[in-house]
Amino acid sequence: MPATLSQACLDGSVIAPAAPERCLGASRHVSVPSVGGTDALQAARLAAGDNHALAEVFDCLGPAVYGAALRVLGEGTAAQDVVQDVFVELWSHPGRYDPTAGNLRTYLIVLARHRAVDVVRSDLRRIARQERHHRLTPGQPHLSPCEEVTAAAVARVVRDAVRLLPDSQRRVVELAYFEGLTYREVALAAGIPEGTAKSRLRLALAKLESVLDRQLLETP
Amino acid sequence: MMTHGREPMALPPSGLRERVLEASLGARAAGHPVPEAAEISAAEAFSRAAEAFYGLLDALGDEDWRMPVLRDLDVQGLVGHLIGVEDHVHRCLSGDPEVAGANHIDSTQPAAACQAGRPCEQTRIEWRRAAERTIELVRAFGDPGTEVAVHGMRLPLRALLVVRAFELWTHDNDIRRAARLPSSVPDASTLALMTGLAARLLPYAAARAGLEEPVNVHLVLTGPGGGTWDLALGADPPDPASVCIVTDAVGFCRLVANRVAPADLDLHVTGDSCCAAKVLAAAATLALD
Repeated sequence: MPATLSQACLDGSVIAPAAPERCLGASRHVSVPSVGGTDALQAARLAAGDNHALAEVFDCLGPAVYGAALRVLGEGTAAQDVVQDVFVELWSHPGRYDPTAGNLRTYLIVLARHRAVDVVRSDLRRIARQERHHRLTPGQPHLSPCEEVTAAAVARVVRDAVRLLPDSQRRVVELAYFEGLTYREVALAAGIPEGTAKSRLRLALAKLESVLDRQLLETP
Repeated sequence: MMTHGREPMALPPSGLRERVLEASLGARAAGHPVPEAAEISAAEAFSRAAEAFYGLLDALGDEDWRMPVLRDLDVQGLVGHLIGVEDHVHRCLSGDPEVAGANHIDSTQPAAACQAGRPCEQTRIEWRRAAERTIELVRAFGDPGTEVAVHGMRLPLRALLVVRAFELWTHDNDIRRAARLPSSVPDASTLALMTGLAARLLPYAAARAGLEEPVNVHLVLTGPGGGTWDLALGADPPDPASVCIVTDAVGFCRLVANRVAPADLDLHVTGDSCCAAKVLAAAATLALD
């Protein structure tokens, strides 16, 4: 019977015994190639639920992914969280990696950098919220030494980015964000209509966002 | 597109590997493919395979029915063989013990031979009715987990239906090969049932084939209908060898159907390749022709 599974024992039940029809002797030996895994093969194995493939990918690319996260974050604990996120993402959604679009190493490193930048952004927002809170409620405890270091580093990157703006836009950013003026106060100080102050700020922020994204992703 | 230079590597702290693997496997258990094929019943898998086979027969011209296909059978004889198999399945489902030990090929040879000289259309319709009768009897049978016995197999009805879907797909491709038509692939849901059954049967195939040395097989079948299985073959071992076999799901089914040699499969093996060769040869013995 072609293709019929014979003398089966399924679900633990014993079935009709049968004498071995073929014994594996030397004459029946077949050779099988031992082939190293390509990225496409690794992706196919991951999609098939092969946990060995996941371990192999970690062993091979884990150091590069950790290095990428560490480079953006500068701090081991947060970098480890990013590495975990990256591999959980790869294992949960292996189909999102397209082997025809690039190699797995690059895919994972880019993913790690993006996750790390998300962490930095989240930290920035938190620190900004805390700063605002401290300004409005004097006497509250200050930032921790670690947070102060992070905030100082981020502030340096932001100031460098602001310097790249055209003069008119840089002026309104400095007035609004470094001196804490409202739109109306910025307009008065710069001698421009309030609407112009708003549009210059919008343009400046869009440029800053693009520059800062690039810097955080590609910091040497 | 942004380019990235070689990222400097940093040695991950100890424990990170374990933590990452644990978190990943917590998010998705090992062995489960993604995307997972929609689950269907074994009866549905048989019904789909029968429909596909009938569609192929319907597309053949009269001269195609005379093409030699398998053993000494032409297409008409092969369909006759399948009519004989369906007849035995009907008897099995009706509780006839005589078909339990019948030889699959010898016992259906009269059904194959008697088709000679008949109009092809008549053979085609007869097979269609036989397959439809199988589906009716399965519906009336009740619990698909009930063991049935036919052609030397004793197995749950649902497994028998997967075996039958497997056989129809294989003969479908036998005919296609003879007619120089492109080969067909089962849908992912049917294929998942086929690969699951074949993987579960591998330890028994190895035992029947005389594979005595203990070996732990990590079997990875890629593509739709695939998955990953960890199978212990051979005697209960204190220290078994380990082998990882990766191939695509359809190729593995062709191997199990004895329609492709292990050497011709697109295989990726790690571990003892000699042992892997024996396991694959054992898989091919699951087919009986």
